[in-house]
Amino acid sequence: MQIIAMILSPILALIIGIFFLGLSRKMMARIHWRYGPPWTQPIIDIIRLFSQKSVTHGHLFNLGLILSLAGSIVVILFIPVGRIHPLSDSGGMLVILYMLLLAPLGLALSGGEAANPNTSIGISRQLILALGYEVPLLLILLALMTHYETISIVEIVFRQQYAGWALLSSPLVLSGIGYISIMPAILGIRPFEVVQAPQEISSGPMVEYGGPYLALATIQHALNLFIGIALFVNLFLGGAGNPLFFFIKMLVVFVLGIFINAALPRLRIEQAVQYLWRWPTLLALVGLIVVIVMKSVSAG
Amino acid sequence: MSLELLLAAAFGGSLLTYLLGKISSGLRDGFAVFVSVILVAMIAGLYGKIGAVTSYYHFMGLELTLRISPLSWFFAMAVSTLGALSVIFSLSYMRDRERTDFYYLMMLLINASMLGIVFSGDLVSFFIFWEMMSWSTFLLISYNRGSALAAGMKYIVFSIIGSMAMLIGMLSLYAVYQTVNIYMLSNLVSSASPGYLLFLLIVFGTAFAIKNAIMPLHTWLPDAYAEAPSPFTAVLSGMLTRMGVYGFLMIMYVIIGSVQTLNMGYGLLKFNYILAWLGAVTIVIPTFIAMLQNDAKKLLAWHGIGQGGYMVLGIAYGTNLGLAGGIFHTLNHAIYIVLLFMSVAAVQYRTGGERDLNSMGGLIKKMPIAFIGALFGISGLIGLPLTNGFVSKWLIYKTLILNGSPFLAFTALIGTWGTILSVYKFLHNLFLGQLPEKYKDIKKSPVNMQIPIVILSLTILLFGILPGLPLKVINSIIASFGFKSLNVTLWGIVSETGSLNTINLFAAILTGCVIIWLILKTGPKSVSASQENTYAAGASIPEGKYHYTVDFYNPFYRMIKPYLKDFMDIFYFKLAGWTQTLCNIVRKTYTGYVGHYVTYIVLFLAVLIFMQLKWSLW
Repeated sequence: MQIIAMILSPILALIIGIFFLGLSRKMMARIHWRYGPPWTQPIIDIIRLFSQKSVTHGHLFNLGLILSLAGSIVVILFIPVGRIHPLSDSGGMLVILYMLLLAPLGLALSGGEAANPNTSIGISRQLILALGYEVPLLLILLALMTHYETISIVEIVFRQQYAGWALLSSPLVLSGIGYISIMPAILGIRPFEVVQAPQEISSGPMVEYGGPYLALATIQHALNLFIGIALFVNLFLGGAGNPLFFFIKMLVVFVLGIFINAALPRLRIEQAVQYLWRWPTLLALVGLIVVIVMKSVSAG
Repeated sequence: MSLELLLAAAFGGSLLTYLLGKISSGLRDGFAVFVSVILVAMIAGLYGKIGAVTSYYHFMGLELTLRISPLSWFFAMAVSTLGALSVIFSLSYMRDRERTDFYYLMMLLINASMLGIVFSGDLVSFFIFWEMMSWSTFLLISYNRGSALAAGMKYIVFSIIGSMAMLIGMLSLYAVYQTVNIYMLSNLVSSASPGYLLFLLIVFGTAFAIKNAIMPLHTWLPDAYAEAPSPFTAVLSGMLTRMGVYGFLMIMYVIIGSVQTLNMGYGLLKFNYILAWLGAVTIVIPTFIAMLQNDAKKLLAWHGIGQGGYMVLGIAYGTNLGLAGGIFHTLNHAIYIVLLFMSVAAVQYRTGGERDLNSMGGLIKKMPIAFIGALFGISGLIGLPLTNGFVSKWLIYKTLILNGSPFLAFTALIGTWGTILSVYKFLHNLFLGQLPEKYKDIKKSPVNMQIPIVILSLTILLFGILPGLPLKVINSIIASFGFKSLNVTLWGIVSETGSLNTINLFAAILTGCVIIWLILKTGPKSVSASQENTYAAGASIPEGKYHYTVDFYNPFYRMIKPYLKDFMDIFYFKLAGWTQTLCNIVRKTYTGYVGHYVTYIVLFLAVLIFMQLKWSLW
């Protein structure tokens, strides 16, 4: 049973992530009054890329990409998808937080060996952006963990199925709004598309990838989309009893995100950090204080 | 085998090494390695003898003793192992330098005095070994002369202030209880008044906070780490600085005891709570200052301060998880920071002492072992899963979150994300990116440098995947402090509020990597491309070096730079300046005329007579 879940959940994540990639391109096109590619376009691209030749810059170039993708897959094993959470008894939120590091760090190592200045600029932006959104994100997660008195994500989901969604519960509503306001940064979509920025630094960390490497990088991107949204659904929308409901919740969140993505231009990296450290951090901070105060009031 | 024999071997070995150096340098090198390795074996052999006490000398009616506790065995093992690896590493680094005999003498002497500190059973021995360690450290920090002299001076001034504070505490303890024996004191002190205990904590705490470089007493550290010879920086950062952690554990949990220490003060103004916040500040600020550094060793030095904050935070928080995390992090930090300094030293050895992060790059293909060392080192420093640093940080975070201190947890967590930025810059600017022309013919590091690097890299992975090995010993330490043991298995921690299973993590990551690697293999074979052969979107990349290193995080620097001055360092320099001005004014009174001096004496006598007539004091 455990083994089946371990195979099933990454595959589910992959299908959903790639579907989202295709969907986003189609939707963006329609919002921009274009016709756009079919929603199956990413699948076609990945298959085509696997048949093409590419260049490599050394062992770390390969290994970094592999590590990054493996990191994303392992994170998915820890995140409940409906009731499927094969590895979540081996560690809780803290492990997820730290496993999330593997993806950007692996890409950074791989890109570092590529010796392309555009890559290095992209990576430096990626790490700055990550620091930017981690400040509010950590405050939000701490508010959740303090409120539910656990570091297990399964427990957090479980508690919400009795007590209602965290997003709608009084102490956590600010944290939830905070998460919504940083979600584009976590997903790396506009207005926070500073890392890839095709027009400025020719796709940044992606620039040296081609063929199968680019296919793997695309898959990694799809999985990242899945993780960012799945975390929100689990932490604030109460997860779901089965994968289908989980998918529907994710779809709603994602479509709302696309509307923001399609309408806004790209920020500069320092503007992004300034935004992230101002309003979302303030919301998250107040949210955490509210949780602590409510807790001490109900205890005393 | 007794402890006296062990210390005799350690101290005698260091002197003998010096003398052998006068005969032949080969003999000296061999003997230095022999002494340091045999010490590791001797200490490992002591594992079963925990609790043994030997009295070795009577000094002015005081009985000086040595004893083994789980805590001292744990620290001694780390000291001797890392010391031995550093000596092995030094062999080629120090070859063909001047005053090598002196270098080995000091290196082994420092090792021996650290063993003396952890094994001493009374405060007099503790103080003597502590001073031996401080002074030999001073001599080795200034080994390179030049700017190293100033760094050494800064260190010894701070160190003396700490020692004096400690001496006051010791004298007062002796005056009150007529004994200096640590175990007798721990029975007697528990009934003392809270005010007196607070006094003890503050005077001893000052000494140990200086040694462990807790803010605001940290300013000696960055210069000292950067200027000391690199293999010695490894020892300095690995265990020597962490004698402060040993000291905190000794005063807080051995002498005064956990019950008294954790109940000192009221509400938010508890001693251990304030110390934990000092630890938290020490995590955040140095980590961000580290981002601004362009000197490889200084960057690591600031992380040395920052990581010390985690240890203090864990220890001061005073739960069994926090204490275990703090002690475990001391060991883990020692392992990866020694490894990182060794990697830097290997690069320095081949590039002629280059430390500037902006002038290197692309060394991964030339020095693969040094790169692997740096990669494992930074992974441990960040605390990536499967490295040792993860487990100890996990323990600390867990207790902070579940015991209701989310803000402390936030500072500790944000420290990690700050760390990633600076250590990636460290790795990228040294080893990744483009290789400059001048380093085209650089050679691999010598074998004696590769051996310690490989051993330490594997240890990081070993303790990350099987953390139960060291945690079993740490469990006995926290049990000896009167805390509840953790439920530790070989590969994780079992608990109702969230378990950790590192072997499952390891299996999952390994399987993931293998599957993706196989998928990549099935695709068409990729062609190897040189560093010049990159895609620049139509622009031409200039010949030679085009490595993006200077101001790596420039947009971010511009934001944070105004807030990140080392205000304390500036303050201490001002303080030193004021003292000098004051002394200069006082010096002006020494005019050299006998008549003036006579006037001073007459005035002094007049004041005395006046005071006697007015208030009749005598």
